Amino acid sequence: MLKIPGWETSIIWYFFLGGIAGGAYFTAAIAENFGSVRDRAVARVGYLVALPLVAICGVLLIADLGVPTRFLNMVLRFKFWDPMSIGAWAVGIFGLFTFVSAVLSFSASEATAALRRKVALVGMLFGFFLASYTGVLLSNSAMPFWADARIMGALFLASGGSTGMAAIALIMFFTGRTPGESWHKIEIADRYSLVIEILVLALFLALLGAAAQPITHGHYAALFWGGLVGAGLIVPLILNLIGGRVRAIGAVSAVLVLVGGFILRYVIVMSIQG
Amino acid sequence: MARTLAMFTDTSLCIGCRACQVACKEWNELGLEAPEWTGTYQNHAHFTDKTYRLVRFVEAPGAKPNGDLAWLLMSDVCKHCAQAGCLEACPTGAIHRTEYGTVNINQDVCNGCRYCVASCPFGVVSFNEQTGTAKKCTFCNDRIHNGLGPACAKACPTESIQFGFRDELVAKANKRVEALKGMGFKDAQLYGADSGGFLGGLNAFFLLLAKPATYNLPENPQRPQRHVVVDSLLSIGSAILVGVGALLAFRERGKGGE
Repeated sequence: MLKIPGWETSIIWYFFLGGIAGGAYFTAAIAENFGSVRDRAVARVGYLVALPLVAICGVLLIADLGVPTRFLNMVLRFKFWDPMSIGAWAVGIFGLFTFVSAVLSFSASEATAALRRKVALVGMLFGFFLASYTGVLLSNSAMPFWADARIMGALFLASGGSTGMAAIALIMFFTGRTPGESWHKIEIADRYSLVIEILVLALFLALLGAAAQPITHGHYAALFWGGLVGAGLIVPLILNLIGGRVRAIGAVSAVLVLVGGFILRYVIVMSIQG
Repeated sequence: MARTLAMFTDTSLCIGCRACQVACKEWNELGLEAPEWTGTYQNHAHFTDKTYRLVRFVEAPGAKPNGDLAWLLMSDVCKHCAQAGCLEACPTGAIHRTEYGTVNINQDVCNGCRYCVASCPFGVVSFNEQTGTAKKCTFCNDRIHNGLGPACAKACPTESIQFGFRDELVAKANKRVEALKGMGFKDAQLYGADSGGFLGGLNAFFLLLAKPATYNLPENPQRPQRHVVVDSLLSIGSAILVGVGALLAFRERGKGGE
């Protein structure tokens, strides 16, 4: 009897790219604030990944509206308990932070670096928010399975972290910016995120029990177990662990993490709508 | 706020003529839709963006007091919940509560994000592809502001749909349940009349002759937004874990400079 919202392709892409943008930005902020001077290369990649992705997110969200020209109506209200309302605000504010951080990342001066670190420390909070609120939005609806999933936001955040870090690693790999230590650090960070994501996903399934059947059984089961759990989490974690100094293995691992991140959103969003 | 208005649908009086459904379509100029074959006289299967009132034809084996098949009729409509999930979900403020306690969608403000569609515990709110906005029963907002009752209530030939002040209708409904029970309808019950009950009570409430599940109504519908705080705190917990992980990976381990 319930009605599905019809959130499909563009919303799945938004959830995926928003997770990467948020994850890449908070990783960059942490690398710059707590890492070495050399880790600024990581941070810069993170900011420069986040900016275009947030821009694409904005376009996807607006295009998916029934009346796209009314997108500014989203900021007619500020409903702090409503994920859709604060989400719209947060995308805009996070967009501003990524823009400022990306611009500041082109300066080599120490004074700019100090400012950039402070900006990132605040912007990071919006990055965390963007990576997780989409899960909270789904879990606060009347839809079966979504509404039963108490840690959907936590799961999306862990996935945002792992995919954001994988995106940074992949870009560092392809641009040849893999000077020893920093590359190794982003690999380790991604490893931790993957472990957290696997644990959160296990808890997610345990808490849901039979309510998780839309993804664990039936049409989406093969994609969920094979694509996400196997190829998107466990295989990349193993590759990450055994890859060591072989960068190509790390890059393959990063690609798989990204594919897994997309499949996670895809199966969850489509499971009850497909 | 003015005194709360309500619609009371007494399903025991419904004869399934669907005058309410037609009156609703006519008054609200909802337009034509291709019919849907449901196996009964019911058309459509569910509410749509052009069907705000829907007479449900329910064939329930064993639901009669003597164990026979019961042929139940129910004119269903938006419940205008006192705690409305759609209203709480709406980011633009298009969905609002009127001074009469009804829930309405301002079609000039709605931008079609469809969170209300996902947040209605009854599957009422529907997305209209032509206008790009969310649609549902308006409680004939234009009529009630001009001294007229909703079109469906006006058209109902058996007074199965009654319109009036909520407190008066609830008192009337309670008496009707007692009368029906006296006649042997042991499962006669009100759905959504209790303002201390689920969703703070429904401003369009019902008298049912069988359990809500028989009519495909949820037994205990809940506010979809009741878990926002818990879910957010769990997300923050996850953020701390992932953040600390990244911090451990990047922190300087006292190697003495670059």
